[in-house]
Amino acid sequence: MKEEHFIIIGMGPSGTQAAFTLRKQAPDARITVMSKDAERAFTPHMLPDYIAGKISEEDLYPYDPSTWDELDIHVRRGQRVTDVNPANGYLLLDHREVLRFAGLILAVGGRPQIPEPFLPYQNLMFTLKTVQDAKRWTRKLREVDSVLVIGGDLTSLAVTKAILHLEKRVFFLINKDAFWPLRYDKELMEEFSNRLSERGVEVIPSGRLKSLFREVNGKIGCQIDNRSLQVGMVGAFLGLAPDIRFLTRSGFSMDRGILVDEYLNTGFEGIYATGDCAQVYHPELRDYWVSIGYENAVTLGRIAAFNLAGCRVQAKVSGESIFKVREVNVNTSWWAEF
Amino acid sequence: MSITDITVEICGMSGDGTIAAGGLLNDALAEAGFSILAFDSYPAEIRGFGRCITRSRITGTEALALSDRTDVLISLDDKQSLSRIPILRENGAVLFDNHPPAFVPEGESIAAHVGTEMHLFGAPFGDLASGASGSLRGRNLAALGAFASLFGVPAESFHQAIQRKFESKGEAILDANLKCFDAGFEYGLKDLDDGSDGLPKLVGQAGPTEASLLSGNVAIARAALDAGISLYFGYPITPATPIMEYLAKELPKTGGKVVQMEDEIASIGAVLGSFYAGKRAMTATSGPGLALMTELITHGVMAEIPAVILDAQRGGPATGLPTKTEQSDLHAAVYGGPGDSPRIVLAPSNVLECYQFTLKSFQLAEKYQTPVILLTSFYLDNRVETLRLPSRNERDTEDWNVYPDEGSKGNYRRFKITESGISPRALPGAEGFVFTTTGLEHSEKGIPDYGADNHMQMSDKRHRKIAGALRDLAPPQEFLKSEKPALGVISWGPTFGTTLEAVEKAREQGFNVTALKITSLFPYHAEAIGRFMQRCKDILIPELNFQGQLADLIGHLHRKEVIRLNQVTGSPMGVGTILDKIRSIIG
Repeated sequence: MKEEHFIIIGMGPSGTQAAFTLRKQAPDARITVMSKDAERAFTPHMLPDYIAGKISEEDLYPYDPSTWDELDIHVRRGQRVTDVNPANGYLLLDHREVLRFAGLILAVGGRPQIPEPFLPYQNLMFTLKTVQDAKRWTRKLREVDSVLVIGGDLTSLAVTKAILHLEKRVFFLINKDAFWPLRYDKELMEEFSNRLSERGVEVIPSGRLKSLFREVNGKIGCQIDNRSLQVGMVGAFLGLAPDIRFLTRSGFSMDRGILVDEYLNTGFEGIYATGDCAQVYHPELRDYWVSIGYENAVTLGRIAAFNLAGCRVQAKVSGESIFKVREVNVNTSWWAEF
Repeated sequence: MSITDITVEICGMSGDGTIAAGGLLNDALAEAGFSILAFDSYPAEIRGFGRCITRSRITGTEALALSDRTDVLISLDDKQSLSRIPILRENGAVLFDNHPPAFVPEGESIAAHVGTEMHLFGAPFGDLASGASGSLRGRNLAALGAFASLFGVPAESFHQAIQRKFESKGEAILDANLKCFDAGFEYGLKDLDDGSDGLPKLVGQAGPTEASLLSGNVAIARAALDAGISLYFGYPITPATPIMEYLAKELPKTGGKVVQMEDEIASIGAVLGSFYAGKRAMTATSGPGLALMTELITHGVMAEIPAVILDAQRGGPATGLPTKTEQSDLHAAVYGGPGDSPRIVLAPSNVLECYQFTLKSFQLAEKYQTPVILLTSFYLDNRVETLRLPSRNERDTEDWNVYPDEGSKGNYRRFKITESGISPRALPGAEGFVFTTTGLEHSEKGIPDYGADNHMQMSDKRHRKIAGALRDLAPPQEFLKSEKPALGVISWGPTFGTTLEAVEKAREQGFNVTALKITSLFPYHAEAIGRFMQRCKDILIPELNFQGQLADLIGHLHRKEVIRLNQVTGSPMGVGTILDKIRSIIG
C-alpha cells in the first residue's frame, strides 16, 4: 500500500478535476474519490441539454469508466461519509468503515434546497441535480404541455431553454432567494424578465406562491398571489445548499459553506474545500465569496489539488461573466458585491 | 424468449445462514418460474469458521453449467466475501450489511473493494433482523428481502419458500423469518431505489413451470424409491449423506428400511446380501468409503451378485477435501480392487441423469449380476436444478434378473458358461436350484476350482458378460456435430455441461469444434468413441482430476496423444477455462 492516501469527497466537476490534478502532482500517492451518489461522474451543466433531447445519456458521462483505473484512482460510489476527524486524519463512512488519510479535499457540492415556505409542496416539485433527476424530468415532460419554473438561478434558465426547445409552455416565477449568494436588484430583475419574455416565457415576477395541489385531471394547480394557474409539472430551482451537514461535529469553520482561505485551506493542515461547498476568503474584499458554475468548479478543484500537493496557488475571482450562459446574458456586478 | 441469465452468490461465514439463504433464494426463484442451477461450497467443519458460498445461476431457459462470473454478490460477512470480488462482473452489484456491530478498518469492508463500475447497495441486515424479530439470526432473511426488492422479485415467492422451509419448526420461528424478510424487503423498496436503474429485474421474465427444484442427491434417492428398493445400507459421508437422510424419511413409507451400518464394508456387504436374496438395495459413499468397499465389490464381481453403489466423488486422495468437488475416482471405480474384476461404471452429467441412471443401475445390476458403480461428484450431488422428473413407471420396479428355466432344475449350474456370459441366476432357497457361492474361483456349479483352464474360462465369461452390457448402455452422444472438426472435446460427469457451453461459445466465435458426452465409463463404447476421435484433428479432455483419468482410459483410441485439461481446485471447471483452452489449441 502506498504511504500517502489522499481522499476527495465528491465526484462532481470540482472533485473530479481535483483527483485528476492530484494524480499528476502526486504520481505515487493513493487517491480515493468518495461519492455518496451511485452515479458515474457526469457533467451537471449538460443535464438541461439532455432534457432537451439534444444529447444522449452517454454524452453526460465525460470519462470512460476505465479512466479511473488507468489513473489508479479508486472510486467509491454510493458510499456516504458521516463524519470527518481532521485532527486525527480519518473519516467515518455510513457503513462504519474507518478511512485514514494524509490529505483531504472536500468537494461535496450542493443539493437542491426547498426553502421553508415551499416545503409543503416539495412532493409536487421536480428538482435537478443528478442524472436520475434528469431522467425523471424527461419522462414527465413527455406527458405535459406546460411547466411552472420557480427559481432564477443558472440551472433554471438552462432548463427553461430546454423546455422551450421541446415546445412546451413555460411560466416562470422568479424567486429572489434562488440565487444565493447573489441578490437580485430591480434592474437585474427587469432585464432578466425581459429576456425570458422575449423567448416566449410568461414571467411572474416576485409573486408569492400560496399553494400547489394536484388537480383531478392530474395537472398541478398553482395559486400565485391572486392568480390561478394549471400546469403539467412544477420545477423548483431554489438554490443549492452546500451538502455539509455531515461536517457539523468536525470542527471546520462553516457559514453556509465551508470557510476556507484564499488557498482553499480549511485551517487544518492538508484539508481543502472546493466547488459549491466552499466559501472562499477574498483578502481584498475581506469577505468570503462563493463560486458558481462548471468552469469555476473545475478551476477551484484544480487549485485545491495543487495546494494539497504542496504548491501555493491562490484562488482568484474569475473575470468571466458567469451569467453568460447560452444566449441568456445576464450582466451583473456580482463579483464586486463580495 | 427470455434472456434472463443472472448469477447470484451469497457469501458468509459458517453460522451466518448462508446455505439456508441460498436454498431459499433458489426455491423462491424456481417458484417464480425461473430455471435454477445452483451449487454450494462450504467448509468441512460444522460451524465456527470457514467460508460458505452459494452460487445460483438464474435463467429463463435451461442452463448447462454455472457461469464463470457473478452478477450479484450478497455479502453476509465482508471478510469472507472479499475473495469473491475478482469473479464479480465489472458492472456487477454488491449487497452488503452497511451497519456492522463495530467500526472496521478500510481493508475489511467490502465497500472498499468494489470496482469503479460496480453497483454497491448497503442495508443494515442485522439491525433490520433485530428490529423485526428481536434476534440477529434473521440477518440472512433481511438480506434476501433487500435483494428481492432490489431485483423486483415478488415477495410472495419468498414467502412461500420461507413457509415451506420453516413451517415444520413452529409458528414462532416461521413468523420471525417472515418478518425479517419483510423488513429487508421494505427497506429495499424505500432506500435502495437509487442506482438500481441499470440492474436487471427478475420479475415477469419467466412463466410458471411444472418443474421443481431438485438436487442430484435427492434425484438419486427418488430414483432408488421408484426402483422399488427394499433396503438402504450406509455410513454417513460427505457428500453422499443427504441420500441416506432423504431415504430415512421416505423409504419406511414404502415398507423399506434404512440401516446405518458400522462402516462402509458392512454397508456393501449388506447390499450384496440383500441382492443375493433377491431384494433391491443400495449404498452411497464417497472416495474413502469406496476404498473400503473395494474387496467386497470384487466379491460381487467374482460371485456374480448385483449391487448398486453410488460414489459421490469429493477431493482426494484419502480424507482429502471433504466438501470440494473432483472427478478423481474414475480409476478406482473402473479398476479398483484385486484381480481382473470388471464391473459397470456409469457417470451421470446432470440431475436428470442422476435420476435416470440410478434407475438403470438396478436393472443393469440384476441383468448382468454385477456391482454397478454410479460415479457422481460433490458438484452434481449437491447442486440443484429445476427440472421435471419423468413420471413413475411401473416397469421401473420390474425384475431384470435372468432366471433359470425349469429344465435346469435338479442340474442347476449357477455359473454356467454361456455365449453372453450371463448365467441364469436362481435365488437362494428355490427348490431344485441348489448352488454354492464363493469368492474363490469356482466351477460352473460354484465349487472352488483353481484349475488353469477353469480360471481362464471363468475370467473370459465374466469379462464377456460385462462387455455385452454395452448394448444396454447409453452410447456416447455428440453435440454440435460438424464434418471435420479441428477439435473434439470429450467430457464426462457434470463437467460435460460446462464443456458444452464452452463449445457453443467457441462455435459462435467461429471455431470448428464439437463435443462428445460419455456416460458409460465401463464398459465404454470404444468403437463409437474411436470413430469420433478419428474425425477430429485433435482431442481435448477436460476433467477435474490431476492425472487425466478419462484420458488414460480412452486416450489410446486416438491416433495421437489426446490433450488434457486438468483442474483440482476443488471447484467446478469454468466455461472460460475450457473456452480459453479451445482457443489456444485451434486459434
